[in-house]
Amino acid sequence: MKRNDEPIGREQGAEDQPSTTLSRRRFLQGLGYAAGVTAAGVVPAVLTALPQATSAAEAQTAESAAAPGGEENALAKIIEEDQPVNYPGKPVWYAKDKPAGKEKWAMVIDVKACVGCRKCVYACVRENNIGRTSGFTYIQVLEMEPGSVDLETANANYEEGGRPDKWYLPVQCMHCAKPTCVYGCPVKATWKEPDGIVVIDYDKCIACRNCMITCPYFARHFNWVEPEVPKAEVNPDVPLEEKTGVVEKCTFCIQRTRTGGTTACTEACPVGARKFGDLNDPNSDVSILLKTRRAFRLKEELGTGPMIWYVG
Amino acid sequence: MNDASTTTSEKRPGVIHFIGIDFDFGALKKASPRYWMWVGILGMFVLMGLVAWATFLAKGGVVFNQRDGSPWGLWFTDYMYYVGLAAGGLVVYASVHLFGAEQYKPLTRIAVLQAGVFTMMALLGVMTDFEKPIRLLNMLISPNPTAPFVYTGSAAGLYMVLCFIDLWIIITGTGGEKLAFTMTLIALPAAVYLHTTTAFVLALNKSRELWHSAVMVPIFLTSATASGIAVLFIFAYIFQAVTKVRFKPSMFRSLATLMATVIIIDLFLLIVEIGVVFWPTSAQPGHTVRMIEFIAGRYAVFFLPVLILGFTAFTLLARRKTRHLPAVQLTASVLYVIAIFLKRYVLMAMGFSYTPLGQPTQIYSPSAVEIFIALGILAFGLLFITASIKVLPLQMPEDDEHGHGHAVDYDAEFNAETARLAAAEVEVAS
Repeated sequence: MKRNDEPIGREQGAEDQPSTTLSRRRFLQGLGYAAGVTAAGVVPAVLTALPQATSAAEAQTAESAAAPGGEENALAKIIEEDQPVNYPGKPVWYAKDKPAGKEKWAMVIDVKACVGCRKCVYACVRENNIGRTSGFTYIQVLEMEPGSVDLETANANYEEGGRPDKWYLPVQCMHCAKPTCVYGCPVKATWKEPDGIVVIDYDKCIACRNCMITCPYFARHFNWVEPEVPKAEVNPDVPLEEKTGVVEKCTFCIQRTRTGGTTACTEACPVGARKFGDLNDPNSDVSILLKTRRAFRLKEELGTGPMIWYVG
Repeated sequence: MNDASTTTSEKRPGVIHFIGIDFDFGALKKASPRYWMWVGILGMFVLMGLVAWATFLAKGGVVFNQRDGSPWGLWFTDYMYYVGLAAGGLVVYASVHLFGAEQYKPLTRIAVLQAGVFTMMALLGVMTDFEKPIRLLNMLISPNPTAPFVYTGSAAGLYMVLCFIDLWIIITGTGGEKLAFTMTLIALPAAVYLHTTTAFVLALNKSRELWHSAVMVPIFLTSATASGIAVLFIFAYIFQAVTKVRFKPSMFRSLATLMATVIIIDLFLLIVEIGVVFWPTSAQPGHTVRMIEFIAGRYAVFFLPVLILGFTAFTLLARRKTRHLPAVQLTASVLYVIAIFLKRYVLMAMGFSYTPLGQPTQIYSPSAVEIFIALGILAFGLLFITASIKVLPLQMPEDDEHGHGHAVDYDAEFNAETARLAAAEVEVAS
């Protein structure tokens, strides 16, 4: 009988009844398979971390290559980190005759100057054909309590005009160096162009809204209704019908800035709190501000590398 | 080709032999009016679902109650839920072959069918929610390797196909025990992979504080297994009620023990997560502000029942002397199936109660169009199973281990079990 060859004594007849307990070998086998599966499940996680790891390494080499002690050194790292992501090789269709140049676009907002008047919000709505009944704007101005940068106590729906005893933090798409929205898009319908602008291909978007989930700045918005713009106010340089049923967001006014202009919000600010420019140009407003003032970025601890800075 | 597993030699009317399976369409003709009424009701819901979907395609997302504050809604709750319910089936099926849990063997066909149909329902939910369903093909043309959605979507698709292939293999007996075992080795990892990637759709977002936790993955696995077994319980009892097939009480009893174990692990993980959010040395405003909404705020009505129903179900199944009673098992199963649905909704809402900019959002409740689409999909799934019960040979031929007569007296076994437990109780009491 085979049973007698077992090294460890087993109860007689144990094999005659259908076994309800696990044999050790079977259990270990099962464990092995389970371990394999867990490893397989981790693959996506590792993949998400990869782009960050590679560009961090690249940034390090770039830093060591830069001139030591030079003033540009500090910004060189930021510029180097801001690489195209999922860029298909040609500009997005609504900027097809305006390909990215050598610039690295960035914005600096002076929160000491901002009075919370929302002029930037309205200028942006008009410039970018945002549906007047769509219920969102690209820019949200947060009314902050004195002594706190805590978003949980901020108020985005404050009364028109702003109050002197609060301070204001305008938030929009940060055109991150490591854009979670671009990493999260299942179909590569959104990408980062070589000059740093994160764009959406409205003709490719499948409307899954995953980018809205992954964005830590609530910068992306879905067109639940058809965007409605009075005929006389339609900006012919910006798509309109194509945005129905897909996600849209701030494009750093790609239609203006790629042809030498500035963004509508920068232009509209009555107190000059917004500066928009090229980090590759050492004499641009943004370069000078970042080198001379103490600047911070919103949720910098998340490591998305936003390209909008705040100075106070 | 003569099939080994088909024991009936004479040709019955209405039976169509196709790809090695006897599709018994004749059984549909003999079906009772009650059966056809049930089919009619389901068909009506499927039709209403189609109308609702057409409304959505014509009018766009405005007919939904999802908005920027909660960009995903009932469809995503259902996606997590159905994918989870699919798991239980696979776990039971896999334990037969992988761990030699032979007592579950009679259930394998229903279990695998359940897994396949629920995954199909999950995928239908995704399809009917996207405003540009045709563009889903972009997922095949230019998939983004860093997007969790690509992994869970493809995993669900492959898993569904796998389940139906598996069902075919079990029914036809192709390849014998060896192939069935090999299929388990593929199917079980696939199930774990599917739930891991589904959990990753939530957990891989640093933008959503309460989702951004690795414990999401084990929670998804335990919730899925527990609720899946609960649904299997319900299906098995319904299957028993509408067909001649009888399962052993000891099988149900063992399944109840398994379910109780998984439920308590599931609740444990949830409570651990809450503890981490509130403990003074780890509490962060981004987490606590959101979690308080679920313990004592606007979402408490959805969250507290998860704990209450969960612990009730566990307590019911934990009692040894009542665990074998069908009423107890069914009550616990129904409670947990409801609890997990609420839990899926709550898990989703945890990411949406506040925007990433700290602004409270409106409580999401689905619109009529969303509800009808969801009901249509549910009805379609049930219709699929209803038809399968009649048409497909779902009972295992090995059921008849006591000979060919159908006189197996499981009632006697059940009574013996009750008597044994009563005796044991008396012993303990004295």
